[in-house]
Amino acid sequence: MFRWCARILVLAVAGGLAAAPAAAQTDPMEIIDRVDRLLRGDSSRGVATMEVVTEHWEREMTMEVWSLGTDYSLVRLRAPRRDAGTATLMAGDDIWNYLPKVDRTIKIPASMMGGSWMGSHFTNDDLVKESRLVDDYDVELAFEGERDGVDVWELRLTPKPEAAVVWGHMAFLVRQRDSMPLWARYYDEDGELARTMEYSAFTEMGGRLVPGVMDMVPADKPEERTSFRYEELEFDVDLDTSFFSLRTLQRGR
Amino acid sequence: MRERPWPRIGWRNIGRNPRRTVLTALGLAVGFFAVVFMIGWSRGITAELVENATSLVSGQIEIHHAEYRPDRSMFDTLGGREGIDVDAMLEVIDADEGVTAAAPRVYAGGLVSSGEATSAGMFMGVDPEREVALTRFLDELVAGRLPEPGALEMLIGEEMGRQLAVGVGDELVLVGSAADGSMANDLYTVAGVFRTGLVEFDARTAVLAIGDLQALIYLDPARIHEIAVATADPAEADAVAARLAAAIDAGGREIEVAPWTVLNPVLVDYVGLADSMYWIFIVIIFAIASFGIANTMLMATFERRREFAVMLALGATPRAIVGTVLSEAAAVGLLSLAIGSAVTFPLMVWWATAPPSLAWLFGSVTLQGALLEPSLRVGYDPAGWTWSALGLVLTALLAALYPAAKAARVPPADTLSGL
Repeated sequence: MFRWCARILVLAVAGGLAAAPAAAQTDPMEIIDRVDRLLRGDSSRGVATMEVVTEHWEREMTMEVWSLGTDYSLVRLRAPRRDAGTATLMAGDDIWNYLPKVDRTIKIPASMMGGSWMGSHFTNDDLVKESRLVDDYDVELAFEGERDGVDVWELRLTPKPEAAVVWGHMAFLVRQRDSMPLWARYYDEDGELARTMEYSAFTEMGGRLVPGVMDMVPADKPEERTSFRYEELEFDVDLDTSFFSLRTLQRGR
Repeated sequence: MRERPWPRIGWRNIGRNPRRTVLTALGLAVGFFAVVFMIGWSRGITAELVENATSLVSGQIEIHHAEYRPDRSMFDTLGGREGIDVDAMLEVIDADEGVTAAAPRVYAGGLVSSGEATSAGMFMGVDPEREVALTRFLDELVAGRLPEPGALEMLIGEEMGRQLAVGVGDELVLVGSAADGSMANDLYTVAGVFRTGLVEFDARTAVLAIGDLQALIYLDPARIHEIAVATADPAEADAVAARLAAAIDAGGREIEVAPWTVLNPVLVDYVGLADSMYWIFIVIIFAIASFGIANTMLMATFERRREFAVMLALGATPRAIVGTVLSEAAAVGLLSLAIGSAVTFPLMVWWATAPPSLAWLFGSVTLQGALLEPSLRVGYDPAGWTWSALGLVLTALLAALYPAAKAARVPPADTLSGL
């Protein structure tokens, strides 16, 4: 998800950067491709709070997040105290969880990749299956103009026939003024809305304008949500792939 | 009114050629045995299937929160969020005369990991003492012993042990979602290994003491997902379930008391199908037997053509001739029934009480969630016996109809003149 949040962030940032030479701006394919190229090699470190609200319980977790490109990220819980130190490493398509209570590292088996990550509305697959959008999706501009007093672009992403993706299609709403995403909607193969990601609290962090809060709402349980709020965020930090190792995962930084 | 001699003539005629009569009767007797045995065996297999499917793991009755099935959400515990007084409810259930055992259970899903290998698992929290009385799968462990409550011990299925390459004494991590949303995890020692023979179950199930599992997933001790109940006879399950529902006020407390007939409708269909098969046995076996009878009766009447001719010449009506032949057939039928019963019922009693194992012939079979050890176990089925007996006599009579008609049409003058 971080990667995936990071993608949106970078999409926004890239949009913002590209906004100056406004000419080829509305070619949606180009925007997203530029985003993907920018994302490669990009690194970040942040502290975020994730709040999960379900029918049965509510829970808030604070975590430190490192990411490198689209292939690597590491997340370590700081709070609540009982779970502090619990960590997740994503490298390529694989996920490992480190459990400090029992001092064991567990690789998530393929059969459980559809399961929830840390009790949130994100699955393990969400964390690792985000490959380059332009590789997997055809992008078209579905709408350009004013909506609720704001000039926006609505992008529709349709999977390419051979792409191994779970969504039937996706839609992004992007604010023209600063290229900030407003929402992303995920539709299943029957064209039914499966979940919505809403972006808000746009703020400058690490020298870039980013949405500070992201809310994931599953369409079948509108009263539930997972909110992801950045407390700190910095870009271009000094990280390389050796940081994203099982050793770092277990060492507790 | 004059006594009608025809049945007596018919009865006496069976002594005319004792060897032929006995052979014919034996044919029918074997047919009768075959039908009764096939019905009984099919009954035995379905009874074993039902007993196995309901006593191996599940129990004949399961008591859940009304919304627990089919989603099996961990939050749908008996009595909702507050839970129930588990001991009090068990006491009420145990008090029913049809109940032989009852046991509380908690379920959760997650991961089972040895460190090197991890697989998806279902965690089952049980009260070891009560569970052993209720189900069979923990009766004989492949290795080790039952888990000690509070000692962070667990049992795993044999297949899971093989996949994770662990055995008794090894440590495994269980990871799951706790009731408060946190990531539940702890380290457990494998105390024992069980085998149900249901590969999927043996590969996925980890059994813990109920309190240990509740502690792992932060579930209050008053919150359980299921009470499994055993009845002496699976056939009583529906009635016992209805009584229990009334006793624990299931309707007023959002509780579902479901007998196996509700939990496993496929099994009910299968039993129904197997029961309807005995008509097929009766028809096929007696159809074969009827040709043998028809042949014998045809010969018997042919060789007595002159006798029938004399009777007709002396004033007997063709109906009377038909009457003697049918009487003879009925007599043969009754004789076969006597022989058949004498052979069949002692065998049935033997196979019903001490069924010889057929494992040397077939090996064991899994079907509908039950592990079958093939044996010659038969079930008693008085209705089936009655139909078989009736079928036998009817077969004898039907097979004699054509020979009887032939006999009645013997032309007296021609026959007596030697033509």
